[in-house]
Amino acid sequence: MATIESGSDLVGHRLSAAERRDWRFLALFLGALLVLLAYFAPMFPYRIIQATTRFSKGTTIVAHFPVLIYRQHFIQARHPLKEELRDVQVRVAPVGHAGSGWSWLLALWEYPSYIPRLFSYLLVLLWPVLGALGALLFVGQAWFGAKGLPERWIPLTIYLTGLGPLALVLAWFHQFDFSTRLLALAQGSLQPRVGFWLALVGTLVMAFAALALRRETRRAVGNWWILVFVIGVSTWLLVRFKPYPFLEIWDFIYDGILVTLRLVITSFGFILLVSLLGGLGRISRSRLIYGIASLYVEIIRGIPLLVQLLFIWFALPQVFDSFGKLLIALSPALEKVGQWWIDLRLSPFTAAVLGLTICYGAYGSEIFRAGISSIHHGQMEAARSLGMTYFQAMRHIILPQAIRVILPPVGNEFVALLKDSSLVSVLAVSDLTRRGREYMARTFLSFDTWIMVALCYLVLTLFSSRAVEFIEAKTKFEH
Amino acid sequence: MGATEDSYIIQVKDLRKTFHHGRVVALDGISLNVPKGQVTVIIGPSGSGKSTLLRCINYLEEPDSGTVIVDGMVLSEVENINEVRAEIGMVFQQFNLFPHLSVLDNIVLAQRVVRKRSRQEAVEIALDLLKKVGIPEKADAYPGQLSGGQQQRVAIARALAMQPKIMLFDEPTSALDPEMIKEVLDVMLELAREGMTMVVVSHEMGFARNAADRIIFMDAGKIVEDTTPEQLFEAPKEQRTREFLSKILH
Repeated sequence: MATIESGSDLVGHRLSAAERRDWRFLALFLGALLVLLAYFAPMFPYRIIQATTRFSKGTTIVAHFPVLIYRQHFIQARHPLKEELRDVQVRVAPVGHAGSGWSWLLALWEYPSYIPRLFSYLLVLLWPVLGALGALLFVGQAWFGAKGLPERWIPLTIYLTGLGPLALVLAWFHQFDFSTRLLALAQGSLQPRVGFWLALVGTLVMAFAALALRRETRRAVGNWWILVFVIGVSTWLLVRFKPYPFLEIWDFIYDGILVTLRLVITSFGFILLVSLLGGLGRISRSRLIYGIASLYVEIIRGIPLLVQLLFIWFALPQVFDSFGKLLIALSPALEKVGQWWIDLRLSPFTAAVLGLTICYGAYGSEIFRAGISSIHHGQMEAARSLGMTYFQAMRHIILPQAIRVILPPVGNEFVALLKDSSLVSVLAVSDLTRRGREYMARTFLSFDTWIMVALCYLVLTLFSSRAVEFIEAKTKFEH
Repeated sequence: MGATEDSYIIQVKDLRKTFHHGRVVALDGISLNVPKGQVTVIIGPSGSGKSTLLRCINYLEEPDSGTVIVDGMVLSEVENINEVRAEIGMVFQQFNLFPHLSVLDNIVLAQRVVRKRSRQEAVEIALDLLKKVGIPEKADAYPGQLSGGQQQRVAIARALAMQPKIMLFDEPTSALDPEMIKEVLDVMLELAREGMTMVVVSHEMGFARNAADRIIFMDAGKIVEDTTPEQLFEAPKEQRTREFLSKILH
């Protein structure tokens, strides 16, 4: 096992009394206690239970808790056609137990049906508590564990506690659905109370102490996951603070994201299969198989993906048609088969999967070929000399080793596929890009639409790159 | 010779093998019979076809013409070559252990896949063999963590786990540091004493003297001299053998 040498003298032995009094441990411990206790004090004592939104020509929309807490802003954003927002009236009511943090969490827990709608609220309210519990576990391990400071958990503790203050502030924003208008309408009652401020101090102390522990470890703390997180949260905040037009765009393109993901994941499964077969074909001793595989790779790599997609979508039905007619002309006995071919129509989704698979399978074949050839031929000979068949040797000996070589470029292929999947929008597949185009055609909000679409792709690709890195790190072995 | 055809476990008849579309002749009409339990050492200059001969015996290399009969089976005619290969253990110069598997799994895998043994049975056999080759404590290590000598001993254990009738050794000590050669040769000596049929390509003359029943000198794809070790070292018949021995015995 590769171990990271620790840069700390607090690691590897039971800590002495003096070492236990290190200020960072004390700060983590006291900060955590403060957060847990502050959740008993009044935090958000009032909530908006009803909001009536009126538009200039008389349209009135009434929203109640909890719809309000996640949709009021959206209601305002969606002007009825040719109407202007006139005014909003809100009713505010006190919350049980003076709206302490725990009572909010309990209330959410008692109404499980709220949780999917208020998931972001639950998460930001729960996060400081998770941070406090994590910090307590961490400090407990350092104080009472035989190995002293649990150095490998430092990065996790920093992430957990570092996000606490941000989470608390976002929890407050949730009280008025991120709408400064609602806040202005009920300013006094929506101000956070003592519990909020104490918890904020607690989370800040924990975050500061955890960050100060950074020099005790040589593990990388600031890695690229933070970028994924920052872009993701920025997109979310953009949607919450500027619901018009971003929430509307999000609502419109949301199903496009699902289509894109379904398309990419389905295609990727087939691509791996085609790549494996193509790769094996390219190292085959049989000239016929080698020839077919090579021809496939060479031809497909030379044609742009967009042209392939257009061919499959527009030209392939004609090919099916002619083939069916040919069959019928050849023999009346083939009438049924011929008619089947004539009637054959691919759905847009199938055509898209087919196009992406054929194109990326060719690139994948080359990756698999290179990966398999990179394994020393002695491995195959040793496996065969033990009596394994070619396929047993491939499965147990060659492929498990080749995976290590293949994985990084295949991961890159996945990210590239995610981006190139936007090309299928020409085939009437309602993917993310096509939904963006449709929204723009309706509203002419070109800048807002495409920045939102770009952000969605960016979050997806950044996340996949990190996931690939993670899997790569997991598949390494001693050599 | 007094032995009948059937008592030979390996029979090679007029074997020919060329590489690069016939431009390089590796084996040029080799005939060789090995009785059961005999330890044969093959020596010869590099490129003389020693390794190719060995690899033809388990059909890792397919000869252009000639026949190989192992344990009564004609290799060019058998339906399933893998069944024959399982009866022929092979040890390589470069060890060729599987780096992604632990030492134990290196020995267990083929037993499970080829011999269809249960995991428990295969592990028992593997641990016994590791004891036999003197490194029972390395069962959970990975090949990359072992010395060359230890790796080669694992490779021998891996081959023995299939309970082969014949063991082929292709320069098993050539890639080893000098201080590790003995630990591998000791294991091979032990095997020879137990009566295993062995064909060894090696220039370890000490091993040839102590363990071999027969020594073959090959040059340019032909068997030049086929005799006992005593005879070969004391009074080689052929001029070519004398030249070669004078070069390697210094």
